[in-house]
Amino acid sequence: MAGMTLIVRTISRLLFPFMFLLGVYIVLHGHLTPGGGFPGGVIIAASIIMLILAYGIERAEAKMSFLNAEILDAIGGTAIVLLGLFGILLGFYFLQNAPAYPIGEAGPLFSAGNLPLLYIAVGIKVTAGIVLIFYAMSRFREKE
Amino acid sequence: MNYIIAMLLITLGFYCLLIKRNLIKLIIGLSVMTDGIHLFLISMGYREGGIAPIAFGEWLKPPGFAARAVDPIPQALVLTSIVINICILALALSLTIFAYRHYGTTNLSKLKRLKE
Amino acid sequence: MTHAPILAIVLMVFGAFLTPVVGISARKLGLKRAREYFVIALMLAELALVLSMFKQVWGGQVLTYKLGGWQPPWGIALAVDGLNMFVAMVVAGMGLLVAVYSYVYMERDTGLDQFYTLFFLTMGGMMGVTLTGDIFNLYVFFEIMCISSYALVAFRRKWDSIEAGLKYMIVSSFGTSFILLGIAFLYGQAGSLNIADLIQKLEGISSSNLIVPLSLFVAGFGIKIAMVPLHMWMPDAYQAAPSAMAALFSGATATVGIYAMIRVVYILFGAFAIGITFATLGLVTMVLGALMALAQRDLKRLLAYSGISQIGYILLGIGLGTVLGVQGGLFHLFNNAIYKTMLFMIAGAIVYRVGTSDMDQLGGLWKNMPVTGTLFAVGALAISGVPPFNGFASKWTIYVAGIEAGRPVFTIIALITSALTLAYFLKALNSIFLGQRPKHLSDVKETPLPMMFPIMLLAVLCVVFGVLPQLGIDLVRPAQEAVMNSSGYISAVLGGA
Repeated sequence: MAGMTLIVRTISRLLFPFMFLLGVYIVLHGHLTPGGGFPGGVIIAASIIMLILAYGIERAEAKMSFLNAEILDAIGGTAIVLLGLFGILLGFYFLQNAPAYPIGEAGPLFSAGNLPLLYIAVGIKVTAGIVLIFYAMSRFREKE
Repeated sequence: MNYIIAMLLITLGFYCLLIKRNLIKLIIGLSVMTDGIHLFLISMGYREGGIAPIAFGEWLKPPGFAARAVDPIPQALVLTSIVINICILALALSLTIFAYRHYGTTNLSKLKRLKE
Repeated sequence: MTHAPILAIVLMVFGAFLTPVVGISARKLGLKRAREYFVIALMLAELALVLSMFKQVWGGQVLTYKLGGWQPPWGIALAVDGLNMFVAMVVAGMGLLVAVYSYVYMERDTGLDQFYTLFFLTMGGMMGVTLTGDIFNLYVFFEIMCISSYALVAFRRKWDSIEAGLKYMIVSSFGTSFILLGIAFLYGQAGSLNIADLIQKLEGISSSNLIVPLSLFVAGFGIKIAMVPLHMWMPDAYQAAPSAMAALFSGATATVGIYAMIRVVYILFGAFAIGITFATLGLVTMVLGALMALAQRDLKRLLAYSGISQIGYILLGIGLGTVLGVQGGLFHLFNNAIYKTMLFMIAGAIVYRVGTSDMDQLGGLWKNMPVTGTLFAVGALAISGVPPFNGFASKWTIYVAGIEAGRPVFTIIALITSALTLAYFLKALNSIFLGQRPKHLSDVKETPLPMMFPIMLLAVLCVVFGVLPQLGIDLVRPAQEAVMNSSGYISAVLGGA
């Protein structure tokens, strides 16, 4: 898939950090503001896909290959399961929040136990998943 | 009012799924129908004069946060359901790409080679 | 172990996440079959986990598990009673046997990393549907199971798999969106999502309000279990899926679909009043499945239609509503899982060795595959309800239940359908194994041993449950008591610590 014109490439290069930052903000503040892992992950993936569309998929595959995206995906998923099992190790239930993780009060960023950690893992997984879907769909062209 | 629009969306999506023949239109119809269901779910959680169910410090203080907030459960249901529908959409589009390559058309009624 | 319910689900999902990593590292390190061993090891651990819950639930106790420590009805709870346990055992057992079978069957396909990932996701979805006590959780896991099965049907990426997968996907997504709408209505009426809580709250609501959710649920789950008139997708999907997966779908996924139907429609709505509608639908399904199967030329399509017919038997048994009817229906569910999986595995063995499942091109394979032929005969006799096998025991229970419930017409039609089943299976047996052998089949070898082992095990189970039907009835009795009497379930989930 070839890239696009100079205007599109310049603007997307300028916009990318802001979109990425917005996505990371939504993921990290999932326990305070609406959003969380899923929409934040989709926005991060959208910013990456915007770059892929502008520059062409060959350059993107040189930077982050299919394999790396799969491994990132597996890391995200395994992190979710491990965070849940952490509660079991301490003697409580699966995905237990209150006594197993430090909760803090409602408001500041470092609070609410395992919610931010879970959202970060979900964000990584959703990002990797959507980028993988995009890679897989665009490979159809080269396959046959 | 919301319920009427939700039912309208569901009916439109349903009609589209039953009548249309093009695969892409079927997928869009499915998406519209699930959007209607989501709208229905969220509007069911509405409470008159309610506030958003965010446990922000200032909103938490007045008594009866639980009594004033809009119901957050349908919102969680809809979030999960939207994610599930992303997966279905991705899978359906991939299968449509394959079907186009094999059959040369996206017309559902042409896909009848299996019926013997 | 008290954490067994959640670990049974988590283990499958964990396996799904780790399979690509195991596959990639196995290729890098040069260990050829590490991925398959990993899969089989995880399935063995899963079966061990499920059986560890067996002892407690057998005595009538309901195992509950609060996710995250939140008290139901505000939190999600997993609840395992007799019915759940029964279905979970069937699912875990069939999963293990299909995993052993796929060790050899799938070795000629590429992309096996994705295959096993999807397999684990389907198993995880099935265990989730079986073990959960919350209706939205049931929907989410049901969707996970359905989406993975869409991808598995279309796995081989040939034209027939894609077509079947696409049709299956559109019809089945339609069905699951009905289920979501039903949950929306139910939540609006009752205000809770926990099944035990809903049973309590729905008793106070008049039945005219509940018609819409009930019909939505019946339509949604009916599409999944291929109840007539919603069965259109099933023959295409089963014909195009790899046979190992067709075995898993007909054995485990259909069982889980029927379990979800029982749990939501019967236990939740207490809808024994609509039982007669169910029994009639079951009757129609049964007869239609058998009639369509008579006309089939392809072995896998024939098996798919006969699967539809057997599901009709199960619906008939459960729809009758009496103790004997529900016992017969659940026992038939168990038997259906056993012999349907076995028959699809045999069809897969034939495809593996010969390359086609079209019965017109086969013939005289008895000389090449004597053991497979014998096992096919065992399966055919079992599914038709011939005496020393398990099909007879469960069908006899359903016949007696039909007469006992005052509807001898149902029994007569069921008997005629059994005769039809025997007819088309004998026809299949004849055209595949007996008769003239075409020239190009003269050097077909016997089925490989790892594929033969699950088939033989299932055949042994057919004989065991046929000769000792009391064992089957004892197995089913806690499940049947759980279906008809849910007060223990409610008090365990809502009142438990």
